[in-house]
Amino acid sequence: MGQQITLALRQSIHRIVLVLVSFLPGVLAFLLALIVFTLIGWVISALLRRLLVALRFDERLASREAPNSPAVLADWSPSNSPTLLAARTAFWICVLAGIAVGISAFDASYTSGSEYSFFLLPYVAHLTGAILILLAGGILARFLARSVLIGAVNAQLHYARFLSLGIKWLVLVLAAAMALDHLRIGGGIVELAFGILFGGIVLTLSLAIGLGSRDLVTRSIEKTLDMNPPKPTPISPTEFPTRTDPDPRPKLRHF
Amino acid sequence: MPPTLTQDETLPATGLITPAAADLLICLPAITPDALPAALETIAAAFPNESLLVASSSTNEQKPDSITLIPYPTDRSGLGWILAASDYAAASKLAADHTAATILLLSDAPTPTGAPLLRALADTIRSTRVDLAVPRFHLGPSEGLVTSAILYPLSRALFGVDIRFPLPTEAALSPRMAQRLASTAQRLITLNQGASLLWPVAEAAIGGLSVREVDAAETSPPAPPQEDFNTLFTNVVNSLFADIESKASFWQRARILPTRPVTAPSQPSIEAATVSPDILSTIESFHLAAANLQEIWSLVLPPQSRLALKKLSELPAAAFAMEPNLWARIVYDFALAFHLRTLNRNHLVGAMIPLYLAWVAGHLRTINDDSTTTQPIQQTAAAFEAEKSYFVSRWRWPDRFNP
Repeated sequence: MGQQITLALRQSIHRIVLVLVSFLPGVLAFLLALIVFTLIGWVISALLRRLLVALRFDERLASREAPNSPAVLADWSPSNSPTLLAARTAFWICVLAGIAVGISAFDASYTSGSEYSFFLLPYVAHLTGAILILLAGGILARFLARSVLIGAVNAQLHYARFLSLGIKWLVLVLAAAMALDHLRIGGGIVELAFGILFGGIVLTLSLAIGLGSRDLVTRSIEKTLDMNPPKPTPISPTEFPTRTDPDPRPKLRHF
Repeated sequence: MPPTLTQDETLPATGLITPAAADLLICLPAITPDALPAALETIAAAFPNESLLVASSSTNEQKPDSITLIPYPTDRSGLGWILAASDYAAASKLAADHTAATILLLSDAPTPTGAPLLRALADTIRSTRVDLAVPRFHLGPSEGLVTSAILYPLSRALFGVDIRFPLPTEAALSPRMAQRLASTAQRLITLNQGASLLWPVAEAAIGGLSVREVDAAETSPPAPPQEDFNTLFTNVVNSLFADIESKASFWQRARILPTRPVTAPSQPSIEAATVSPDILSTIESFHLAAANLQEIWSLVLPPQSRLALKKLSELPAAAFAMEPNLWARIVYDFALAFHLRTLNRNHLVGAMIPLYLAWVAGHLRTINDDSTTTQPIQQTAAAFEAEKSYFVSRWRWPDRFNP
């Protein structure tokens, strides 16, 4: 009995050691590829940055872009520097290439695991796509939230912050749902949850705007009525309105 | 697409005579066909016994005998009510073609009361050898507020030119001034920015050309047709900041005008002050922004300015006033953020509007009548001059003032 247990344990340890021995070279190859390509990416990024700084890339690009254009490249770049954007893009392309090469090397060294790389490589591509969707969604959400906030404040809407937050979360929820869908996680649950969340946010915003704009709409209707007064009907002297004078205050002229 | 004027370009045929040369060229880039006959009458009355060359995109058979109409490039772009880069380029081209000695550029149809101003503008160029003559309007306390708050103080402090209206709607130019403006305009047109505004006073300062103001007490500047103040403000301030950015090497070493003593206007007592609905409305805009835009302001303004704004937002309407030095620093900080691209430029200028409205509220509360209008504006301009060293320091070492 004891011998059988010992034998079973030995065989189990032996199998695990065998798996590890065949697995470790693949992991090491993956790590080596990743480190080498990261180093290459770092070198390329540094060289590219130096080159672009020497060429005054940012200044040249800024001078070629219209100052009033709504979205220039610098606005989307980290620290508002297209040079930095190019350098970082080059770096991350190299890192992604390192991951792809590492997975391939892992496949080559771990003979029985070809199905792993067959599964992992497309999944890494999907993961990269999902991360990019999230990043783009985050940037777009921030841009739109600021646009709405500033526009609403200048339009003197008291629920400006609420509106801005609503827009921001709409875009973020949309981006998150797209990313999950891209990764094929959740399936129908994500679609359902997204529909509920998106619809909820839109409904909340509509209610908020509708309730908050009552005064604005009232004023607008009053103004329209003032511009197109109805034909006077004979009224008794006791029914004269209390306010008949036009607004006497001077209007501001900014220009 | 803005008009790019080349030697080979054929202007639209109108069946009009093209003279060989003229002393005075008057350009009417934005005139409508309906307004042209009255405008020609005014021009003829302003320059009696003179042979005139008038460039207009509209045609009119019933013109005074002294006037010769020539075609003007019709594809005009820009804000409409103000002279844009493409207008200066077109005027310079026409002046060169007809060897005009004086160029008068009008953004709007002249009214009969404006005839003496036209005459005075042209005479200033012809008789005093000045390169640029612009009108000096006499506005009421609630008029021309953007000019009083931003355009005039910045122009005076950075370029050392004491011109009250640095963004003219009418201007008289010498040929060399027109040539200089045309070369700048052509650069903008090449970059597909012909609709951009041009700042002739700053150009004259950089080129060492002389500028003079002509009194225009009887006339008022044309009002912008566009009712959306936010868009207009964004366009004008964006253009001004871009101009300041492009001329940084000049104004960092330029000497400012000798400071004139300006006495602070007496603040109306809190009890006596009457707060008009306009002032209340602008203060309300500022309070709303102070509650919502702190995050954006914190990207642009240093802590001491934000603290001062916080204190300002706590003041009652009857005591509301923005210190000129605080306003000057705020404008300089926004100009710097525009240069550094701290955030999207339209967002940046949009976030500046409530601060400008806060200045307007304080300005209107300070002014009691038309006679006291000048003093606060001069005080604001003096504050911009005093704070110029702050701007230069921040421009050179942007991070020094932030913790």
